[in-house]
Amino acid sequence: MRLRSIILCNFRQFYGKTEEIFLASGATNITIIHGNNGAGKTTLLNAFTWALYEKFSAAFTSPQQLVNKRALHEIKSGKPVECLVEVAFYHDSRRYRVKRICRAYKKMNGIEYSPTELSMWVAGDDGRWMPTHQNPEDIIGRILPPSLHQYFFFDGERIEHIFRDNRKTEIADATKELLGVEVFDRALRHLKAASKSLEEELGNLGDPQTQKLLQDKLKLEEQGDRISKRQLEIAQELEKHQELKRTINSRLLELSGAKELQDRRASLEAQEKHLREQLKQAKVGIKRAINTKGYSFLLSEATAEFRTIVEQLRQKGELPTGITQQFVRELLKQQRCICGGDLKEGTHGFDTIQSWIEKAGIADVEETAIRMSAQIEEIDKQAPEFWREVDRQQGNVKQWRAELSRVETEMDNLKNKLRTNPNENIQQLQQRLDEIEAKISQLQRETGANQHNLDKIQADIEVKVKQIAKQQTNEQKQALAQRRVEATVDAMKRISEVKNRLDKQFRWQLEQRVQEIFSQISFTPYIPKLSEKYELTLVENTTKLEVPVAASTGENQILSLSFIGGIIDRVREWSKSKMHMGPDSSTFPMVMDSPFGSLDEIYRRQVASSLPQLANQLVVLVTKTQWRVEVEEEMTPRIGREYLLVYNSPKPDCEEDSIQLGGVSYPLVRRSPNEFEYTEIVEVERHG
Amino acid sequence: MERTFDYSEGFPEVVISTVLAENRSDYNQNAGLKEVQEPIVSAAPEVRKIIERVLELEKDKLYMKVPKYINDDILQIVKEEVQ
Repeated sequence: MRLRSIILCNFRQFYGKTEEIFLASGATNITIIHGNNGAGKTTLLNAFTWALYEKFSAAFTSPQQLVNKRALHEIKSGKPVECLVEVAFYHDSRRYRVKRICRAYKKMNGIEYSPTELSMWVAGDDGRWMPTHQNPEDIIGRILPPSLHQYFFFDGERIEHIFRDNRKTEIADATKELLGVEVFDRALRHLKAASKSLEEELGNLGDPQTQKLLQDKLKLEEQGDRISKRQLEIAQELEKHQELKRTINSRLLELSGAKELQDRRASLEAQEKHLREQLKQAKVGIKRAINTKGYSFLLSEATAEFRTIVEQLRQKGELPTGITQQFVRELLKQQRCICGGDLKEGTHGFDTIQSWIEKAGIADVEETAIRMSAQIEEIDKQAPEFWREVDRQQGNVKQWRAELSRVETEMDNLKNKLRTNPNENIQQLQQRLDEIEAKISQLQRETGANQHNLDKIQADIEVKVKQIAKQQTNEQKQALAQRRVEATVDAMKRISEVKNRLDKQFRWQLEQRVQEIFSQISFTPYIPKLSEKYELTLVENTTKLEVPVAASTGENQILSLSFIGGIIDRVREWSKSKMHMGPDSSTFPMVMDSPFGSLDEIYRRQVASSLPQLANQLVVLVTKTQWRVEVEEEMTPRIGREYLLVYNSPKPDCEEDSIQLGGVSYPLVRRSPNEFEYTEIVEVERHG
Repeated sequence: MERTFDYSEGFPEVVISTVLAENRSDYNQNAGLKEVQEPIVSAAPEVRKIIERVLELEKDKLYMKVPKYINDDILQIVKEEVQ
């Protein structure tokens, strides 16, 4: 940030709008502003901090009374007085203007203030001023964070207060922010959150699900194996029983008195088998008919609708099409009508024929209508055929069922005859047969149920296989999530380590720099020390033992200035490095009110010669007594701009005061031409 | 202009200020910087990429007290870099 100018309007002592106060930069980077006590030096310093940060220095009393008293006195009740400060600055080769406004209203019971409004404009290379899209506070915060403003806008008389115990943490935090440590801290915090999210994702993809699916599949497979084994046993048992049945049947044949019955039974059994086969075939036939032609009887409404549509087209004359569009186009293309006349574009004949395109039908429509009509005829024929086929098959089924019933009844009778046969052997054999048949029937039911179960299990297994495959994709995802968690944790460790190293390195460099600057200014053998928490102390080691020094106010002020100088210098260097994560600033202004506070001559000379080299730009607000020989001697060669704060006193017998600059006398205090006190800013132009 | 992180360009030249440097101690600043960024440089490519992108993002959003959507953005960076 390089300050360009400041404008004040009705801000404390400054009545009305001041001229634009331009600030020096470059080789002559010092702006000196002279003013007596109460003339507005502290006000000017606070105009910067108010405009940029809405903050005030400790020396700025009654910050709630910002608005110029004269302006308030002159305004009518209910009308606002605008109190504003406009600061212009450069950053990153762009020009910015920031304006903060506060409006005061005179009310019956006092003054009412509106909240302040901040606006910002930026001008790029083309020089056009545009309001900024981003929040102005955010933009300023990025260029020079609010927490650091006290390094750059400060009250020299109180500078040592910055490093008082109760503000040490604040300074440490601000320094870390300037250094960019905050970026690392935030990165660590947010990476931790990311790592937590990744771990949750990993948990959701978890192993137990795959394990459960695999177990389920295994159980189903075991169940299937058991049933299949039982099916084999049943098949063997059935075979055994069939064999038994055959043996008994043959023995019955051998027994006299049973042979006839047994022959009849064999014949009935053959009939039964045949009938059952025919019934099966009939059912297949019905299913086939439904599959292939079943739809035809559902289409009667659709075919009727089609016929209506075609009939309507016929009535409208669109079917048959008569002449087709294709035919008309051909005539136009050949430029000759069928009557032999020429068809040149633009002639009456051409236009007449062309108008036929609209009227002519599309050949495709007619063709499709013809083809569909034939298909519809076919569908309509299929419906009665389907019903005939179904009726025939159902007739058969009915007949065969009746026959089957007859065969079964006869078989039962036959069996009864055998059971009640006077020949006990026959009786026994029949009983045995009955038992075997009951067993076969039972086994057949069991095997049927088993087959049903097996089919179901197989289907379930297939579902599980699919789920497991999906889960295996999950496993890949799981491995990926795991790698992401590991990468995040690794990144955190490394960022943390870099942060520590950076902090240590920077602190060490800063300490070195502060020591250099301090030893340059101070004639004491004291050494500034910077603790891990950026606490600044002075020690001496003349006895080879480091002991803290009870430093004077002057020493402490030099220490503070050295620290600020060191910070600016180090951050300026550091920001050239890619490792620097602090604000994008390599240029820092320094606006200091009474920087020579309680320093004696030697120190004032040293500070005066060191300051312009520490900051890129220096704005110094001084009283006449502070602007003494040694300070003037050191600073004058580097002054780029110089101003006076001329205090106008309403006191009738006020003692006027003036200052000699470059051999010319300038007023500092003079009689006010009215009953108000106010300050004017006057630029000093030195010649030679 | 934002600086982007590309360590492949080598380490940045650090210009040591000559301001008040008559008695400047002779420490090796470059070596110091090298050591500072060593944990990033020595990381696996994907980890290094994550670190660089996260730091860049954090720096961009430093001016916000509570950066918006930053957790989602960082999660996205990790997912993009580790495929």
